[in-house]
Amino acid sequence: MAGVFLGLSVMLMSCERTKSVPVENVRVTPVTSADVQRAIHDSGGKAVLVNMWATWCGPCREEFPGLVRVARKYEGQGLKVLLVSADDSADIAVVKKFLSEEGVDFPAYIKAEKDQPFIDGLGKQWTGALPATFIYDSSGKLHDFWEGEATFNVFEQKVVEVLGKQAKPTGGNS
Amino acid sequence: MKRGSFVVLAASMTMAASAFGLNIGDKAPSTGVKMKGVDGHEVSIADVAGKEGTLVLFSCNHCPFVKAWQDRIASVGNAAKGKGVGVIVINSNDPADYPEDNFAEMQKRAQQLGFTFPYVVDATSDVARAFGATRTPEAFLFDKDGKLVYHGAIDDSQKADQVEKHFLQDAVEAAVAGKAVPVAETKFVGCGIKFRTKT
Repeated sequence: MAGVFLGLSVMLMSCERTKSVPVENVRVTPVTSADVQRAIHDSGGKAVLVNMWATWCGPCREEFPGLVRVARKYEGQGLKVLLVSADDSADIAVVKKFLSEEGVDFPAYIKAEKDQPFIDGLGKQWTGALPATFIYDSSGKLHDFWEGEATFNVFEQKVVEVLGKQAKPTGGNS
Repeated sequence: MKRGSFVVLAASMTMAASAFGLNIGDKAPSTGVKMKGVDGHEVSIADVAGKEGTLVLFSCNHCPFVKAWQDRIASVGNAAKGKGVGVIVINSNDPADYPEDNFAEMQKRAQQLGFTFPYVVDATSDVARAFGATRTPEAFLFDKDGKLVYHGAIDDSQKADQVEKHFLQDAVEAAVAGKAVPVAETKFVGCGIKFRTKT
């Protein structure tokens, strides 16, 4: 019985992880905070999730599978996920390798600006702690922000809040 | 692998509003809490307070961000002490999560870096909580009246050869001279404090 349970647990854990993609398919662009703001506004998403992370950040690595899973599940409903690495720009190959293992085949970014202007440019409420997540609505207005690790369920709930709001009828008498 | 300068927040999800902690002008909290130093003696923030001010720096051993800054932590800390500023470096991380942050490694690190000031264990992480500290290395400088005059980074780059602004050093010099600190608050990215579970 215990063996069956263990087997199911392993299967569930493996389901949590997204299939890896070839590293040559991973695109990582150096960005300033202004570039990230531009990407948010130009994304065309109904909801935009920006996640600040780093390969050396344990909690970032732990939440990554849930993050990628949310990106996959809601991409067809208008969710855009912008992953921005805070790794040293010289470590771009390490970042690409990690993203390939996590199955990230959508555009990703790496910080290319000093801390203070980058942090202030993304949001005054961000202390600089990693991971940090920002969720914007389709107009680019910040809907939610938090620092620290989150689960798939939290990411999903926060994203659905934004997608759900915009799915509501906008008027009419019927 | 080179490491980024962002702070890793190892605790669970928190809203930022609670993460900023003390405001400029505030007095240091938890000054009477005794913490075990690498020399085996218990010491509090009040014990180390200097006549020209007090520098409280949250740090650890494992963090790549701390490693990038550790020589500058030693030099700025030792220089501050030489100017009459009391200095204490506090490790609030739970070594259960980061074994490199254990006491024996703290002793080694303090010796290697030549700390002339206490490097202590915040055994409950409550001192960090009281300060609202979230990252390492995170500096809090109090003036001779005990008021917070600087909070933030050591300087503006984890790469020593790219430093342009010596925030903490400038703040120490201004505080000792009785002048206004040029930049009172700075932000930086690094490793989040891994708080021990509240009992």
